[in-house]
Amino acid sequence: MSATTTMRTLPGPAKNQAVSRALGRRRYRMNRLVKVLCVAATVLGILLLASILLTLVWRGAAGLSVSVFTQSTRPPGSNGGLLNAIVGTLIQTGIGTLVGTPIGLMVGTYLAEYGRNSAMANAVRFVSDVLLSAPSILIGLFIYQLCVEPFGGFSGIAGCLALAVIVIPIVVRTTEDMLQLIAPSLREAAVALGAPKWKVIVLICYRAAKDGIVTGILLAVARIAGETAPLLFTSLGNLNWSISLAQPMASLPVTIYQYAGSAFEDWVQLAWVGALLITVGVLATNILARVALRGRRAS
Amino acid sequence: MSDTPDHVVKSYDQELKRLRNMMTQMGGIVESQVALAAEAIMHRDAASATRVVEEDPKVDALEREVEAFVIRMLALRQPVAADLRHIVAALKITGDLERIGDYAANVAKRSIVLAQFSLPYSLAGLAHMAVMVQGQLKSIIDALGDNDADKAVEVWRSDQVVDDIYNAIFRELITYMMEDPRNITPCTHLLFIAKNLERIGDHATNVAENLYYAVKGESLPDSRPKGDTSAYAVVRPRE
Amino acid sequence: MSEAMSRTQDQQANFGGMHARSNSNLNETRISIRNLDFYYGSNQALKHINLDFPNRQVTGMIGPSGCGKSTLLRVLNRMYDLYPGQRATGEVLIDGENIIDPSVDLNALRARIGMVFQKPTPFPMTIYDNIAFGVKLHEKLSKAEMDERVEWSLTRGALWGEVKDRLNTSAMGLSGGQQQRLCIARTIAVRPEVILLDEPTSALDPISTLKIEELIDELKNDFTIAIVTHNMQQAARCADQVAFFYLGEMVEVAPAGQMFTAPKERRTQEYITGRFG
Repeated sequence: MSATTTMRTLPGPAKNQAVSRALGRRRYRMNRLVKVLCVAATVLGILLLASILLTLVWRGAAGLSVSVFTQSTRPPGSNGGLLNAIVGTLIQTGIGTLVGTPIGLMVGTYLAEYGRNSAMANAVRFVSDVLLSAPSILIGLFIYQLCVEPFGGFSGIAGCLALAVIVIPIVVRTTEDMLQLIAPSLREAAVALGAPKWKVIVLICYRAAKDGIVTGILLAVARIAGETAPLLFTSLGNLNWSISLAQPMASLPVTIYQYAGSAFEDWVQLAWVGALLITVGVLATNILARVALRGRRAS
Repeated sequence: MSDTPDHVVKSYDQELKRLRNMMTQMGGIVESQVALAAEAIMHRDAASATRVVEEDPKVDALEREVEAFVIRMLALRQPVAADLRHIVAALKITGDLERIGDYAANVAKRSIVLAQFSLPYSLAGLAHMAVMVQGQLKSIIDALGDNDADKAVEVWRSDQVVDDIYNAIFRELITYMMEDPRNITPCTHLLFIAKNLERIGDHATNVAENLYYAVKGESLPDSRPKGDTSAYAVVRPRE
Repeated sequence: MSEAMSRTQDQQANFGGMHARSNSNLNETRISIRNLDFYYGSNQALKHINLDFPNRQVTGMIGPSGCGKSTLLRVLNRMYDLYPGQRATGEVLIDGENIIDPSVDLNALRARIGMVFQKPTPFPMTIYDNIAFGVKLHEKLSKAEMDERVEWSLTRGALWGEVKDRLNTSAMGLSGGQQQRLCIARTIAVRPEVILLDEPTSALDPISTLKIEELIDELKNDFTIAIVTHNMQQAARCADQVAFFYLGEMVEVAPAGQMFTAPKERRTQEYITGRFG
């Protein structure tokens, strides 16, 4: 097409001004309608969340006292606390993360760097995704078969393992996603300097994906801190103070489960306190994850 | 150049074409100037002579236009290879053409003076030289329009003949001057006219060299037949 | 080009007594490519390439998109090894050794032949660590020696003045042009013999581009350089010899002056004047 031809008018009927205006008005009305619906949905969602939080804070704060943090669980009416549950949750979450994270990291690295699209990698990815959304009670039952029955008793370590199994697919997914986000040119730049593959992964890729991977781990932590079902069949819960991994171990979610349904008022009150503590803990971890991410991205 | 594809950017091709047209236009004017100047000498035609001088400003203006155009093209198009050679050659060629026009004007002016003298000797040699030079000029201007490197080589070689004729005329005129002092004025004018014609031939050869380089990318060998030996000519009177 | 021919061996990189690695003669061929074929799966991307890279000169490679010039560059440091399904046959000789041979130690090879990419890729570390990264892969230096090497590299990379007060800040805070110079400094730091540049200034603004071209001009005193570029004027400015590629073949190779005033091949002429049929 030569550059010197002028543009002829397009074929077809001319614009009808009245029709255009009517269509314009309809578009405007649809816009407003959708906007109103979105705002309404948002308000509804916020109201629901707010009401949950408010209830938690109102009911939970009422029972907050020093003894919650200094006394272990006691029979109703003896002014007990939640110390062993809190410590138990901390231990089990901690060990579960410590065990699950390296495994998840390595599997995620394998999927992103070594396997990529091979048959094996696709299979692993599929299994990991299924595990990610598996009901956690099934995981609890699996660990029960593996660690509780053969050894004849519930134990803290079984609880840790159950939580670890929940952590693994989360870390696998986030690690793989974050590593895949890294531009191939960054890897090639490291290879071009003569770096062997493992060094490229450890020194460059991990560093570049650090923020995302850490966020993934923190989100896994937040998830397992509130898991109840797997712990029911593994660490069971312990009404006394115990930090032995070979013995049943108390945890906040299980304690809440036991207390909330009881007939005793102080136990119910402690259940609310426990719920508040877990919620605050998970909220704090999430906020920490976001702040850490934003802070590093700004630098 | 007709078998190479066009530029992707059409305006580039149009500009190159315009450059070529300006060159051939200039060549045409200069050709007619030289023809008229030769007429003016041979037939003592003052009208022709005046026309030659009047055409000269047109040639100068064209040369300036080409120069500005070339500089603009160099800045805006960043030409390379053959395009670059042609564009730079255009600059040099129009310079040579403009000089040819100036020489033709000089010849024309002298012819007016010469017309006052009655010459007892024949101007056949000069006429022959003028015909040769016009032939050279026509050849090279045609070659310009067609980018014909072979024709350019022919023109380049033919300068030898023009130089030989010039040498002969040089001796002849000096002989006339020695015979009779009254011949000195017309013969001096004739000398200058012959020299100017010879220079026109040289400039035509320059154009041929530039055209050859533009088309082929190589220069013609340095050993151009430079046959003007009048610098060393000594004519002694017969004792 | 005649100036390059008369340069003596004494003019080596000299900073704090440190020389560039290569002590070889000028006018030698550093890399010799013989009958190279390259395949992406079953698709042949390079056909029968024969090309010499003269020592301590800049070889420019031009051609339309998909002609194979970047592919050829990536053969020189075996980058294609990262991707299965890509393979090369033929010879690429450096000091008589064929680097396509599977027995070649790739990490050592890449220490001799460095590469800078189109997109500046600073590592997510401090500027100091960026430079030290490559060096640590191949050499064991004391802190003082490493400091000296970092300073040398950044100076040769025309970046020292701008960053000497903030070596411990993150490299991601540099501008695009600075990041690319950092990548070049990082590549020089391991003291290679050859530097491969894959469209190094495509992503940069004109002033950064000129600074890097000036840098290339200085670097060629010590390193053999191969540069792939889409920008023909850049090849004209930077390169000593230019190779024109088309559809996987090398059509013509000539000194830059000749390539851009009187190329021999019709296809070359058509491409560089902008007349593709």
